[in-house]
Amino acid sequence: MQLSLGSWTICGLAVASSLGMAFWKAPAPPGKPFWLFSQSHSLTYMPMIAEWNKTHPPEHQFNGTVIAGPALERRLASGLLSGTPVPDAVEIEISMAAKVYAGPLDAVGLVDLTDRMNHEGITAQINAPSLAPWTTHGRIFGLPHDVHPVLLAYRADLVEAAGIRVEDIETWDDFARIMAPLMADKDRDGYPDRYLLGVWETNPASIEILILQAGGEFFDQNFKSVINSETNARVISGIVSWIAGPKRIGANAPNFDAEGNHLFLSGGVVCCLMPDWLAGVWMQDLPGLKGKVKLMPLPAWEKGGRRTSVAGGTMLSIPERSTDVENSWDFAKRLYLSRDLAETLFKNSSIITPIKTHWNNPVYDKPNPYFCGQANGRLFINEAPNVPIRTSSPFRPAAIQAVTDAIIRLKQRAEAQSIYTPSALLPFAREELKRAEAEVRSQMDRNFFQTAENQAKVSP
Amino acid sequence: MSLSTSHPRWTPYVFIAPFLTVFAVFMVYPLIQSIVLAFRQTYGPDYVIWVGLANFRNLLADPDFWTALKNTFTYALASVTIQLPLSLGLALLLNRPGLRGRAFFRLIFFSPSLVGVVFVAMMFSVMFGEKEGLVNTLLRTFVPGFPPVFAWLQNYVMSALIVASLWMYVGFNMIYFLAALQSVGQDGIEAAEIDGANAWQRFRHVIFPEIKPVAGFVVLLSIIGSLQLFELPFVLLNGAGPERRGLTVVMYLYQNGFERNDLGFASAIGWTLAVLLIGLAIGQRKLMGKEE
Repeated sequence: MQLSLGSWTICGLAVASSLGMAFWKAPAPPGKPFWLFSQSHSLTYMPMIAEWNKTHPPEHQFNGTVIAGPALERRLASGLLSGTPVPDAVEIEISMAAKVYAGPLDAVGLVDLTDRMNHEGITAQINAPSLAPWTTHGRIFGLPHDVHPVLLAYRADLVEAAGIRVEDIETWDDFARIMAPLMADKDRDGYPDRYLLGVWETNPASIEILILQAGGEFFDQNFKSVINSETNARVISGIVSWIAGPKRIGANAPNFDAEGNHLFLSGGVVCCLMPDWLAGVWMQDLPGLKGKVKLMPLPAWEKGGRRTSVAGGTMLSIPERSTDVENSWDFAKRLYLSRDLAETLFKNSSIITPIKTHWNNPVYDKPNPYFCGQANGRLFINEAPNVPIRTSSPFRPAAIQAVTDAIIRLKQRAEAQSIYTPSALLPFAREELKRAEAEVRSQMDRNFFQTAENQAKVSP
Repeated sequence: MSLSTSHPRWTPYVFIAPFLTVFAVFMVYPLIQSIVLAFRQTYGPDYVIWVGLANFRNLLADPDFWTALKNTFTYALASVTIQLPLSLGLALLLNRPGLRGRAFFRLIFFSPSLVGVVFVAMMFSVMFGEKEGLVNTLLRTFVPGFPPVFAWLQNYVMSALIVASLWMYVGFNMIYFLAALQSVGQDGIEAAEIDGANAWQRFRHVIFPEIKPVAGFVVLLSIIGSLQLFELPFVLLNGAGPERRGLTVVMYLYQNGFERNDLGFASAIGWTLAVLLIGLAIGQRKLMGKEE
């Protein structure tokens, strides 16, 4: 067979590139891979990782790599399920955790830390509710990074100028009544000049915060759906009474959004549900509010009720296929249990540590000019032990979405029938939650792996 | 240059072997696997259960599937009934003899389709902003009593999607129609004119029959594109939107396959969509064939 010069060139290139692909290995950065999804976490950890690497031999050193959340989720899922490379340590955000826990318990793919943590007394050091999201079937698969208690941030300049005393607010009913003067229509355009609270039916995060605060939940400890509960019905009736009708007090002011930020900056919305991490975000993204915002405990759903809630979360986990689990465990403890890191974390991002013994650090008592001299660290810590316990069901995102849809439908009914009081909305709220629960249950019934009796059958 | 005839008989097979290998490994094998997967439930490669027709049964029993199907077909219907007549209208305008600046207008109308779908979705999400968005700002300026806040992306999800897609695809489809119109013979049009046919009669009886094959192709392309709708609502609504008003079949597939990790169920959705598309294509071909 005769081949032309061009054919030989093509064949040569094909062979050379194939050999290159087969034998050339991209240089790997030194150190064991530690995957993170947050640039700000990375910046906080870098000095400590550098210090760890200085004091440990090369084979025990770590290299922190930031990978965008969705990409990290895919790569980790692929690694845990099908044997592609996994890191030696990884930070997992709460929405990813649900997916990690979606299969049989023995397929989680992360090291079960329960016995180590109990044996070393770490469990007792950690704020108890902060362990719940990382626990499935009684086993803990990650060290918690945070507590994320939620307070109410309010425009102190506007509230105080109106002569309103926030000390008089104990419940959400008090809140709506006492803050009402701020909603005057001074420009006479037929609409209030301000709305009291950044809450809307399309914001599942704030809906979850309010449901958890009231003692509601989406699943019980056995992962059974409890969406259709009286507490949840009461909460969603309350939320719809805030966001529907001519006297609504709520407005759509999402975080990380230009319009939402504008509403807070302009005073179009007076108050915001504020987890500790959001306080850090505001300090960075909304410097115009410095000296104009204060924090207070959330108004309770009833007198004597819980004055906080919880939003978001991260854990540090070790994949079972980590090259050296003991070394990774030492690294994880050094990082997450460190007093220095807790302090840096608070200074950089306003996030408080779940390690209770660090809560006496004076850094948390430092007055913060952004919050008009309030010690925001101490305010969050005061509420940290009271944050509600969350379950880690893999169907949690679906449940939150179903309840959000229930609220949207309830609001439509409220406006169609001009019903705006929580008590009048309650029967409809029960109907909508029943429908939401049926939707989630149908999804759960579809998942063969989540039924306890089937878990034993499917081991590989 | 002379062609050599001395190659052995297997030479062509050697040359097509790389393509066939890649095609078999990355197309044929996954396609067959996806059929098998549609009858299974999996959690990674190690945990596999044969579930028979359960995925298809669950699919038909899931209200979200019907919502997705309804949304997708509404969008497809709008594409065919609004977008294509607009494209054809623009093409007819640009095909008028003696029109000055034709190339310029052609570029202007076509240019939105040069922009990425994700960018368009981002742009329209800003334009449909509830308070400060361009659409509401204009409406507040020109419509007395228009509310200070109006949520297009909550209350009029499908309309917002259709408007965004019109902006993007009208010019693109216009090019097909324009090409077809330019191949219509002038003799027939002039003869009809002499016989006293008005503009509509000339279009109905002379021009349209000539561009019908292209119109059929564009309709099919639009329907297939509409049934594959994903990025536009996904970015514009940051997911399926309130009460899944922007959920499409492909987004439903993505959510089940990659957000809930239920690849078996997602395969069942994929094959159901494929059967729908094949059915539509055959139906359209038969319809066009019968009319011809």
